[in-house]
Amino acid sequence: MILAVLPLSRFVLGVLCYAGKRVSRTVAAVGWCATAALSIYLLIATRDGATITIGLGGWAAELGIVVRFDAVAAAFSPLVVLLELAVLLYARKEDRAPLFYALLQFLLGAVFALLLAQDLFNEYVILELLTLVSFLLVGYERRPAQIWASLKYLVLASIGMSLFLVGVALIYRHTGTLNLSQIGGIIQGRPEADWIPLATVLLVVGVSVKAGVLGLSQWLPAAHSAAPTEISALLSGLVIKMGVVVLLRVSQVFPLGLTLQALGAVTAVVGVLYAAYAKSLKRMLAFSTLSQIGYLVLGLAIGTPEALAGVLDYAIAHGLFKGLLFLAAGEAARAAGGGRFEELAAHRELIPRATTTALFVGTLAIVGLPPLAGFGAKSALFACHPSPFVFAVFIVTTVGTAFAFAKLLPLFRWRRGARRSDRTSAYAVLAVPILFFIPFTVTTFPSLHLATGLEPLLVIESLGAVAAGLLLHRWLGHRAVRLPKRLFFLEEAVLGILLAWLLAAILLRAV
Amino acid sequence: MAFSVGIVLLGIGLVAIAIRRDLVIKLLALGLTNAGSILCLVAIGDRPDAHVPICAVCHDVLYADPLPQALVLSAIVINFAILALALVFVMRLVEQYHTTDSRHVEDLVQRDLDEGGQQ
Repeated sequence: MILAVLPLSRFVLGVLCYAGKRVSRTVAAVGWCATAALSIYLLIATRDGATITIGLGGWAAELGIVVRFDAVAAAFSPLVVLLELAVLLYARKEDRAPLFYALLQFLLGAVFALLLAQDLFNEYVILELLTLVSFLLVGYERRPAQIWASLKYLVLASIGMSLFLVGVALIYRHTGTLNLSQIGGIIQGRPEADWIPLATVLLVVGVSVKAGVLGLSQWLPAAHSAAPTEISALLSGLVIKMGVVVLLRVSQVFPLGLTLQALGAVTAVVGVLYAAYAKSLKRMLAFSTLSQIGYLVLGLAIGTPEALAGVLDYAIAHGLFKGLLFLAAGEAARAAGGGRFEELAAHRELIPRATTTALFVGTLAIVGLPPLAGFGAKSALFACHPSPFVFAVFIVTTVGTAFAFAKLLPLFRWRRGARRSDRTSAYAVLAVPILFFIPFTVTTFPSLHLATGLEPLLVIESLGAVAAGLLLHRWLGHRAVRLPKRLFFLEEAVLGILLAWLLAAILLRAV
Repeated sequence: MAFSVGIVLLGIGLVAIAIRRDLVIKLLALGLTNAGSILCLVAIGDRPDAHVPICAVCHDVLYADPLPQALVLSAIVINFAILALALVFVMRLVEQYHTTDSRHVEDLVQRDLDEGGQQ
């Protein structure tokens, strides 16, 4: 019962938001309190690794819709609560209209619905809902760049979901069910059935478009960097992970190891390359999100329970620090009068100290310095014995991330008399869990936590990677490199999906 | 058979989105893509010589699978919403830039970003 209330209440609250400006803020606060209370209740109820499952309307699993609060939902709900609080605190100073709060409620309701969904068609509907709502939120300020970015997002996401739907149809024809765990059972019974490769291609391509895998979802950098600040934080911190969640659920049913390894490696390396040579802070953060998604996909490719726990751990950590970075980047860009690195560096005395501190904490966390959030989660992935190839990609990405974020160094010089920020509370909400991430994971999800601690080898490894990144920055950092922009145009972005369609068409001939 | 036709429609839509530069044509092609996927979904509910799945006594009648038909309704509504919203946003772009050519829009947006200094 409580599971159905968690997402559905948000849609009711979202409609209530239209009553007026002051009402919308109260409603948003009420929504946050309710979610926080429900999440804490559910986390306590499932603290020993149990799951809560209900069949909606009292139907059995093979007929009705099953929702389940499992380890994935348990891992994400604290992130949702923290990010939402930070975004609400930040938005309080921004004077947003009721529509903004209404869409925010719809977005978070959809996020919870996706975390609880256990069957393919619900996942399809909720992913489409997420597309629609985040499309409206990206274009919320109606600037042409935002409208164009969100339009590209909508077109690509809609194509991806069409392919996903065909995959769902195919699976339903051959298994007679949409429930993922039942599909898993049927596939284990006959793993070499001829329709499985085709269904796998369609599902993986469809979800990858939403999850930010390079080659299929080149909408990401434009959409995440053009969106309003709070929305960038939510999209990069939370919404993009919903694609990864579906990919995780699909990868538990279908054998995907090698595909995900290739997709993840390309995404991680190309993403970090573009991040290293991006000219503005928000764009750099968006590209870095792309590379971090590659990281998560590689973790999924390893596929052991430890690796999956590491993926969840890293998804949460990334949500926290990328949310913090985007919020701080928005305020820094406004204070400095522009978000490009030279503008930020030139007007750095105008950036409030709290904002700089937030950027600093976020940077330390994303490059994986111990004992911050990024380190705990990265070492969890490192500790699950990836193949040498995956390990090399991990190292390259970490070094590249340090190289990219070294461009922020000019901002971090300590100085007196800086301006005060009125958004300190929003930063604090995210910075505190980042600083105490390792104890935080140990206490909240003992089932997820890996005995990483502060192993000397891992500490040396991460320090070495950061040092290598800084050295590279001294050596290469001032060289201007123009990477092809065409990769991220709409026509070129469709090509990857078109290739996947060709592959599907060839596989269809074989069925 | 209908399933393959659906896949082909999907492909035609994809090719059109990739090679035509007019945004309105791109959206029409998006509609075609979505229609292809919907056709695939309808096709799997079909059984040879089956009746419509509305019957008083269904024990000895072979009827088409009603579930895909129910799913299709959701998919159609979603795709309708997507196309409608996309058209509104194309309208905003045309008001701003007086063009529906995607390359042109891309260049103009890039120029605005370089000049504006926002973000």
